Amino acid sequence: MINRQLIFILIALSVAVPLVIRLGLPNYVTSEVMQVYEEIDQLDSDSVVMISFDHEASSLPEVKPMAVAILRHCFSKNLKVIGFALLAEGTAIGDQILREVAAEHNKVYGKDYVFLGFRPQYQAAILGMGEDIKRVFPQDYKNISLDQIPMMEGIKNYQDISLIISVADGDMPAYWVDYAVSRYHKKVSAAVTAVMATSFYPFLASGQIVGLLGGLKGAAEYEILIEKPGIGQRGMDAQSVSHLMIILLVILGNMGYFLRRRFTG
Amino acid sequence: MQRAIPITVCFVFGFFMLLQFFVPHKLSVLAYENVLDWMQIIFVFTLLVGAASYIRLNTKKVVQTQAGWGYNLVALAGLSLMVILGFWKGTGENTPFLWMFNNLQAPMQATMFSLLAFFVASAAYRGFRARSWEATLLLLTATVVMLGRVPLGNLISHWVPDTANWILSVPSMAAKRGLYIGIGLGTISTSLRIILGIERTYLGRR
Repeated sequence: MINRQLIFILIALSVAVPLVIRLGLPNYVTSEVMQVYEEIDQLDSDSVVMISFDHEASSLPEVKPMAVAILRHCFSKNLKVIGFALLAEGTAIGDQILREVAAEHNKVYGKDYVFLGFRPQYQAAILGMGEDIKRVFPQDYKNISLDQIPMMEGIKNYQDISLIISVADGDMPAYWVDYAVSRYHKKVSAAVTAVMATSFYPFLASGQIVGLLGGLKGAAEYEILIEKPGIGQRGMDAQSVSHLMIILLVILGNMGYFLRRRFTG
Repeated sequence: MQRAIPITVCFVFGFFMLLQFFVPHKLSVLAYENVLDWMQIIFVFTLLVGAASYIRLNTKKVVQTQAGWGYNLVALAGLSLMVILGFWKGTGENTPFLWMFNNLQAPMQATMFSLLAFFVASAAYRGFRARSWEATLLLLTATVVMLGRVPLGNLISHWVPDTANWILSVPSMAAKRGLYIGIGLGTISTSLRIILGIERTYLGRR
């Protein structure tokens, strides 16, 4: 039997070493990620994209690379971005990510992007924005009235939004499907943690969500598409080696199990 | 009376929201928007109740010096500090609140989440055994999906990611769809039971 401490050390090494020493394993782009890319890519400049940061701080290493890659694409296409959070911890994170990526592209707050902050009770917030965004968010995160923000001029509800993207670590995209897609027929894409990705394949197949990014792999694929390598692609080396390590451990565990069974009857 | 009022409120609002969906009249939309506003207002009050309960529970353990009271003290200190910092300098850019969030809360939460990888590896080594035909199938499926979801799988053969994608988008999705349909039907029936006052457990035991 391998003791637990050794397993922990092996996993730590299999994650840490590939992050330092790059293996450069070639990645490939899946159709679900391509769908998100194409959906954004076909939008005319000045179209408005909503990005909802529906996650907590715990999943930051997995969701941030996805959000950054999507935002880089949006800003490089000169799309207008409205950011907000439907989970409290996503607020500070969303604001920072948006500011960082906007600064890379010399985008101006209030003209090219806004961050509206956080609203509790996500069902009511999603439904409410379908009627009137300013009713749900009368002011932005900086307490500026939306009426005074030039970018928000002429934006009333989902009819003025081209695409909604939920960056989530839970089942929030399902609520977007329930309330924004079903009721307001709005296009919604999802960028979720890898562990949640399988939950959204039925929505993807039914066309209720347009494209799906699943965890670090989704981020890595998107980075390939926008030709801007980032933490997603670096992380895929670590994920490859750690998956391989877990598989080797399972094989070793089974070998031990069968040998023990053979010798002890 | 104590039960009749909430049941009546639930019935009226439940049916209003149900009917409103099919009535696009201006008045109906206005009332609907007001209900949505109220939902958010009420939810904020539930947050206050939650915070009050959290403070009461932790304070009680600290005052009575129950086992592990030090952790409760840290929890209370953390809550108080973040509230004070938030009110003092706000929560935006370059504030102490944001510094605490970025440098303490986010790394600590991410660390807790990351520990899962270690536990999963240890549990997989100890528990993932090909004891039966079903267990072997599960083991093989997990192996293919794990390899197929990383670039390594594609290096071995394009069949690995192709098979992994097929597993996710056919058998796995079929099972998920079945679950979702079941959940949907269950939600409809439970909602109707609540609206009609048949299901009353949300009112408490008395």
